[in-house]
Amino acid sequence: MDQFIQQIITGLSIGSILLLVALGLSIIYGSMGIINLAHGEFVMLGAYAAWMFQQRFGLGLIESLAPIFLVVAVFGFVIERGVLSFLNNRPLDTILATWGIGVILQQAVRLTAGGELRYVQMPESLSGSAEIFGTSVSLYRVFLLVAALALFGLTWLLIQRTATGMKLRAIIQDRAMASAFGVNARRVHGLTFAYGAGLAGLAGALVSPLKSVSPEMGTGYVVDAFMVVVLGGVQSLVGTVFSAFILGELSSVIAFLQNDTVAKTLVLVAIVVLIRFRPEGLFTTRLRT
Amino acid sequence: MAFMQSTTRAPGLGRQIVPIGIVCLIVFLMPLVLDNDFLLAKLARYLVLGMLAMSLSLSWGFAGILNLGQAMSFGLGSYALAMALKLKTVPVHTGAEGLPDFMVWNNVTRLPWFWVPFEWMGVALLAGVLVPAALAAGLGWFMFRGRVTGVYVAIITLATMVVVNLLIIDQQACTGGFNGITDLAQLQLFGITFDAYGRSTYYLVAVCLTASLLLALAFTRTKAGLVIQAVRDHEARVRYFGYDVAAYKIVAFALSAAIAGLAGMLYTIIMEFASPTFLGVPLSLSVVVWCAVGGRQSLVGAFLGAVLVAGMQGVLSESATFLETWTLVMGVLFVLVVLFLPKGLAGLAEAIGARLDWRRRSQARPGATLASREPTEAGL
Repeated sequence: MDQFIQQIITGLSIGSILLLVALGLSIIYGSMGIINLAHGEFVMLGAYAAWMFQQRFGLGLIESLAPIFLVVAVFGFVIERGVLSFLNNRPLDTILATWGIGVILQQAVRLTAGGELRYVQMPESLSGSAEIFGTSVSLYRVFLLVAALALFGLTWLLIQRTATGMKLRAIIQDRAMASAFGVNARRVHGLTFAYGAGLAGLAGALVSPLKSVSPEMGTGYVVDAFMVVVLGGVQSLVGTVFSAFILGELSSVIAFLQNDTVAKTLVLVAIVVLIRFRPEGLFTTRLRT
Repeated sequence: MAFMQSTTRAPGLGRQIVPIGIVCLIVFLMPLVLDNDFLLAKLARYLVLGMLAMSLSLSWGFAGILNLGQAMSFGLGSYALAMALKLKTVPVHTGAEGLPDFMVWNNVTRLPWFWVPFEWMGVALLAGVLVPAALAAGLGWFMFRGRVTGVYVAIITLATMVVVNLLIIDQQACTGGFNGITDLAQLQLFGITFDAYGRSTYYLVAVCLTASLLLALAFTRTKAGLVIQAVRDHEARVRYFGYDVAAYKIVAFALSAAIAGLAGMLYTIIMEFASPTFLGVPLSLSVVVWCAVGGRQSLVGAFLGAVLVAGMQGVLSESATFLETWTLVMGVLFVLVVLFLPKGLAGLAEAIGARLDWRRRSQARPGATLASREPTEAGL
């Protein structure tokens, strides 16, 4: 029983990492229709940025979160402006282009920072553990959960309560009409992609104390995060939250009862079946069009 | 004028069969020029990868189905032949009672049921083509009957391949797991031994390549092939005409998988092993890249794209100057192709050809220039 609770809590922590990575992906796909295969590389950039700030400037992880967000967001903005903005209405080509960009980013990091594994220090104040339901849980994992939920709340506020967020929603509904009313779709798309990239960077920075940092670390996240986005429904941010935690718990619990391969296989098969019968995701209502 | 742009105009047969003929002739003449068995084997490897890319162009370029799991068919073909060749190895490599060595190490005492048919080479050769085709047909039925399109097809195919890959790696005792199936016997057919570094293997690859290029070309020229291209350009309209869109898509998808399976079998002969990386995500994405670089709407283009890019990767990764930077070069090149050559190198060649053609005609008959211009095809 004790182990089972441990497993549930591990699931929560997997879920919060998934949410962090999937949130940016979801905004980018939901609003721009871009399947961003370079998303994993943004995660990796964030982790490297965390390592750089720690090594070069002696900043702790928490203090460097804001600059990490900015750095990766700038990368995202440049990539959107330089490449993706030319691929409007060619969604399948964006898959190819972002994959190429991912390859470039990976190799560029390997050349500049070296290919060996790097390690990021966990903030001292968070390195302890707490008692929850009689099981000891690492404080950092609790912090991850809180951070993921806070970032989700912030994103939701930005989309629902700011002028740019409103323009974004208008573009999603009808790009041509929004443009006719004077919304600068190019600018909004640039900002959206930058924000999504920045979120991925934060995800990378936040997981960096738990995992070793390497140029290839991002690739594993993309497929998983995509499954989260599809499961939740591309138009629904709340769906993303639920599906992240459902997938996190499912993988963790099935892995505990059976093994990792069975867990991964079952989750993937479930998603394939889901796409076939509910392509709009679990958490969106079918719209009549 | 949108309907004008989406009109599918099948290019004349001559415009495709000529490049295919030239390419195949060059492939057959290569051994006369290249008097080095090692280089020839390497070339054969690139030709097989080209065949794989060509198979994807059939489903992606012609039917509009972006299959991110094309390597699944390739890998299954590769495993089918490897299983048969493993059972033919000398007892040193098979361990007790004819069981493959890795099964002995994993304490398997009886040959698993799905290995038994592979005692017969004929069955294995058929399975290498039919198993991928049947699997693709089943997956196609599942997807296209439910009208799954576009990006979702890409995700489903990718996820399916990852599942198969996980299962193969997980079933260590029956599949060799991470190591794949190694220490294979050489394929013997009609009294000919196909050694990886032998001329016979090269010619086998050349014959299979030519046959599958011609088969694919013939398919695109049949009525089904033409309907498929119409589906790619405007699915709803074809459906309104009363065609069973899903059935046509399933056929194209399965044919593409069958050719990929054949390529996979050839790959096993050349590499002398089968590995889970043959149906991994990196290879699968690479196939898409090759296809895009060469031109997904051209069979020869996709084939040449693969030979060119895979060959360049080979050369660059071996040269000292580019050892560190070749992936960077490939990435940049790739993004440029997506941006500026949406129809790949074949599209570029076609545009240059059309331009020369147009100039010649306009000199001959001034005033008839507009009518002779090609309608532009809508991108995917």
